[in-house]
Amino acid sequence: MIAGRRRELDRPAFRQRESVKKKKAGAYMDYSLLFAVIFLLLFGLIMVYSASSYEASLKFSDSTYYLKSQLRATAIGIVVMLLVARIDYHFWKKTAIIAYIGSCFLILLVITPLGITRNGARRWLNLGLSLQPAEVAKLGLIIFFATLICLGGKTITGTIRGNFFSLLLAGIPTGLILVITKNMSSAIIVFGIAFFMLFISSPKYSYYLIAVGIAVGLGALVVYVVSNGSLLEGIVPSSMLFRLDRVRAWLHPEAYASSKGYQTLQSLYSIGAGGIFGKGLGQSTQKLGFVPEAQNDMIFSIICEELGIFGAVAVILMFLILLWRFMIVANNAPDEFGSLLVVGVFAHIAIQVVLNIAVVTNTMPNTGITLPFISFGGTSVLFLLMEIGIALNVSRSIRV
Amino acid sequence: MKKEKKNKQGHVSIKMQKKLVQVFILVFLSFVGLSWRLYAINRDSGGDYRKQVMSQQQVASRVLPFRRGDIVDRKGSKLAYSEKVYNLVVDAKLMHSEEGIHLEPTFRAMEQCFPSINMPKIREYVMENPGSRYKIFAKKLTLDEITPFRGIMDGTVSFNQAEDEGSVTGVWFEEDYQRRYPYGSLAGDVLGFVQGGNTGFFGLEEYYNDTLNGVNGRQYGYMNEDSVMEEKVRPAEDGNTIVSTIDTNIQSIVEKHIRIFAETHENEYREGPAADNIGVIVMNPNNGEIYAMAGYPVFDLNHPTDMSGIDLKWYMPKTPSANVLPAEPEEPGGDPEVGVEPHEATDPENTGVSQNEPPKEEDNPEMLARNKIWRNFCISDSFEPGSVMKPFTLAGALDSGKITGNETYMCNGYLPVGGFNIHCHNRLGDGLLTVEQGLAKSCNVLHMDVAFAMGKDEWLRYNRIFNFGLKTNIDLAGEANASDLTFHEDMGQTDLAVASFGQGFNVTMIQMAAGFSALINGGYYYQPRVVSRILNSEGAVIEEKDPRIYKQVISEATSAKLRQYLRAVVMSDRSECTGWSARPAGYTEGGKTGTAEKYPRKDRNYLISFMGFVPAEDPQVLCYTVIDRPNTAVQSESTRLATVLNKDIMTEVLPYLNVFPTEPITESELADLEEKELSFSEGATLISSNSVLIVDENGEPVYAGEGEEGLLEEGAEDTKNAGDGEDGTIVVPVEQPLQRDSAGNVISENVIRYDPSTGFPLDPATGEVLDPRTLLPIDTSRLPKRSTEGEGEAAD
Repeated sequence: MIAGRRRELDRPAFRQRESVKKKKAGAYMDYSLLFAVIFLLLFGLIMVYSASSYEASLKFSDSTYYLKSQLRATAIGIVVMLLVARIDYHFWKKTAIIAYIGSCFLILLVITPLGITRNGARRWLNLGLSLQPAEVAKLGLIIFFATLICLGGKTITGTIRGNFFSLLLAGIPTGLILVITKNMSSAIIVFGIAFFMLFISSPKYSYYLIAVGIAVGLGALVVYVVSNGSLLEGIVPSSMLFRLDRVRAWLHPEAYASSKGYQTLQSLYSIGAGGIFGKGLGQSTQKLGFVPEAQNDMIFSIICEELGIFGAVAVILMFLILLWRFMIVANNAPDEFGSLLVVGVFAHIAIQVVLNIAVVTNTMPNTGITLPFISFGGTSVLFLLMEIGIALNVSRSIRV
Repeated sequence: MKKEKKNKQGHVSIKMQKKLVQVFILVFLSFVGLSWRLYAINRDSGGDYRKQVMSQQQVASRVLPFRRGDIVDRKGSKLAYSEKVYNLVVDAKLMHSEEGIHLEPTFRAMEQCFPSINMPKIREYVMENPGSRYKIFAKKLTLDEITPFRGIMDGTVSFNQAEDEGSVTGVWFEEDYQRRYPYGSLAGDVLGFVQGGNTGFFGLEEYYNDTLNGVNGRQYGYMNEDSVMEEKVRPAEDGNTIVSTIDTNIQSIVEKHIRIFAETHENEYREGPAADNIGVIVMNPNNGEIYAMAGYPVFDLNHPTDMSGIDLKWYMPKTPSANVLPAEPEEPGGDPEVGVEPHEATDPENTGVSQNEPPKEEDNPEMLARNKIWRNFCISDSFEPGSVMKPFTLAGALDSGKITGNETYMCNGYLPVGGFNIHCHNRLGDGLLTVEQGLAKSCNVLHMDVAFAMGKDEWLRYNRIFNFGLKTNIDLAGEANASDLTFHEDMGQTDLAVASFGQGFNVTMIQMAAGFSALINGGYYYQPRVVSRILNSEGAVIEEKDPRIYKQVISEATSAKLRQYLRAVVMSDRSECTGWSARPAGYTEGGKTGTAEKYPRKDRNYLISFMGFVPAEDPQVLCYTVIDRPNTAVQSESTRLATVLNKDIMTEVLPYLNVFPTEPITESELADLEEKELSFSEGATLISSNSVLIVDENGEPVYAGEGEEGLLEEGAEDTKNAGDGEDGTIVVPVEQPLQRDSAGNVISENVIRYDPSTGFPLDPATGEVLDPRTLLPIDTSRLPKRSTEGEGEAAD
């Protein structure tokens, strides 16, 4: 059914691209977007060094260990970004199936001997370089869904069945990530990106509002039940109860100060210790072994401690500028496919930033989400920059 | 509819655009909300959290230990140094981190690398105290011991437990230092030892404790005024090195000969060690530098509390028994009344030694025995010096002009003083003597006369000048204060009489050696010292300890005269002197023997000694040997033991110090030297009692080890002076007419024959063998058992 539709839709799209090509000679690029990204990358490098130097010198006797690793990934990432920015984004349409299946395949590879266990979690692949398939899946899903929505048109977005079918497709890699890598946060993001893209493109506004409403309601119910203690006992298996500790720790971090609540509490201490203007760059004491994953999930708390609310808000503003540029590019994209690609990138970054800061400020239960461009993590930076490259290419296609 | 929108806008539907804007606004709002949350956290809990963060910063202020300085000998050989060692510290919290994946690999690595460690205990501790960050489980590991484990921690050494389940962590090594003495027991009395890390006990380690110790460094963190944590490292200051005047070679020569002596004479007459105490000081009389100082028994400085090789029971405090075999019943007769305060050198209460001994239980006999072994006899124990004191009496008299040295004195064998007859060691009397002859023969009567010529005040004045009763201030811990054990203004005539030949008051070895050096070096009293300079941890000299002259005690001329007299003690014809057996072949030597009777007098216990210096004309080396209560049948006749010990030491030390022989060496001396060289080099374990040989003029070997047999060689008709024993004082109450009469008879005739088998004098009237000391007939068959019982019978 989809294949039939596809042939019809293909032609105008191609025609459109040819017309765009002719007008693209001026080579407009969204420099505001580029500068925001570069600013965030450089700031990220500084913060990674600040947050990790103590631990790196203890563990590896080299305070720049994490910095070097991040610098390498960033350098490769920028090159990749510039290359991708020169590839016509319509190219990705052809890779949609490969991107989707490839993502799932890479996730499956984690259970093979290629998988690497770090810090007790099996989430990485050893392919010469270590690679986190969940990060690949995010990009893969953006491309796949942009293509799917574009080609499927109303069949996908206009009907409940189509929407359910799409969400089911998104659910496969999400489920794999959740089951195989036990990485709840990545699963949320992957599914969130798909959900968001569908929501933007689907005319069924109310369905999504209802869906979000139900999700929020369920979440609130869980929180209520958990916070009211023994209601669940006997009904839910004890292994599940253990998982719910995370929720309890979120509600009362002090009560779990030495276990699940430790990281959250230390993060709150950092924010509190930072005050309005912070202790000054490099002056954090919480990074000296107190905040776990200081250069990673919790880097925002170190930013708060060293640069204060002022610095934290500045970073948030920078992300806001970035998202604003995405919105502009998406809304002015020459075609739906380009627009959807940028929407996907928008969704990816927005979800991650909001969730990360929410976790750091204990606004939601703790789950390991990195702060895009700033947190330590090679795969993450590399694929984010690829996404930026795609967005930049879309921006180049805009007729001014 | 979609197509319309596309055409209008070109590409993207308005609805999509709107939604995107809405979403963007939503994101913006959530950013605002999150920023508000940041502000709220600061507003509501900022103060608390700030405090919390500060209280978390228990940045372990870690002590960085200093390195205690070395002790090196005069040639730079290390006698003591501190070696870096490591304590194994377990950080259970770190081991438990990351859900405990480090636990098993770490336990396995520890088990593999430290086989001696108590793993179940560590496992139990770590499991029960997951929050513990610091617990020491092994101490004083060497670098070699911890290197394999460090390798595993670094990942440089593969750890063949296949599964990659986590790295080894939670164990670290804390630096510390361990004191090492590479020569084991050598110079133990001088060096002292270290306990409890860096506290020195005895000797140099105690005296120079503060110099040797440095200042601990510290690694610490603190909050500066901006509430910012700063970490600081104050490095440790290592201690200073002290350069000793001790010479390792001389010290080992001395200790070897003491050991030979001790092993030869152990259990010889009575069960027990060769002597209660043995002490030797070798020093330079011209500047006070101590070359060697040793006692016996020795202990391993690396394990000072381990005395497994020593039978402690012999060193426990006891009332010294009479010199009789335990089988003999002791007669409980009353002590003879003498005008001398009872001072026992062996009594630890009176010696005023080391206040800082590690053990507290003063009354525990085993502890007291250990203390006795640890402490330095040469400086910490006082004793009556005996005849070695005589040159001091002469020096005082000459220097004050009370005698000229050209007088002659008549010795009848005794001198009545204050109602007692105080005898010469030669009860038969030495006849008419010059001062020089009197010293050479060690005549008590002559010295009593000289002391009387000086008078009490003058004698006391010189006694003070020679520093008796004062500490020498030698730089060693535990020097005895013998000020209460000397004579004061209230001394009586009898006191003066016995004091002239060194009885009735106590001195320490170091006092004697320092004073004697002044007698022979021109009269300059140098502070004896063991340290010549102090270096800092980089090796730069920070303090030079130059020779320190306290005072000139006698004139150069008096000193020269004394050298002449003292030379006669050793270099005269052997029938005319007491010290001939101390002379090392090829050298001229001066010196003085001593045979002090110990208190209570009736027990016949003696302290024998010899103070010798070479060359006699220009002294370069002074050697003082003291043997307290030698394990022989007749201790009073065993002075030869001290002279021979002195000679053996000198024979080896002199060539080492480049003091060249000036005298011809006879063939018998040469043979003797060669034989000794052999036995010395073979070491103490091969030495039998026969091998320490003295050869007389005829080349016949004579047993030197045993006092009485040593008298054999004195068989010649013209020898009046039997043996080397000379000056045991016998203060006999006048109420015993028999003794006085018989003594008088013999002396008046002055024709004495000697028993060829024992060397003892024969009664001219009856032909009975007489005890040379009491001049009572004795039963030769019972000779080795001489008891007071026998004497008592004879007296009646």
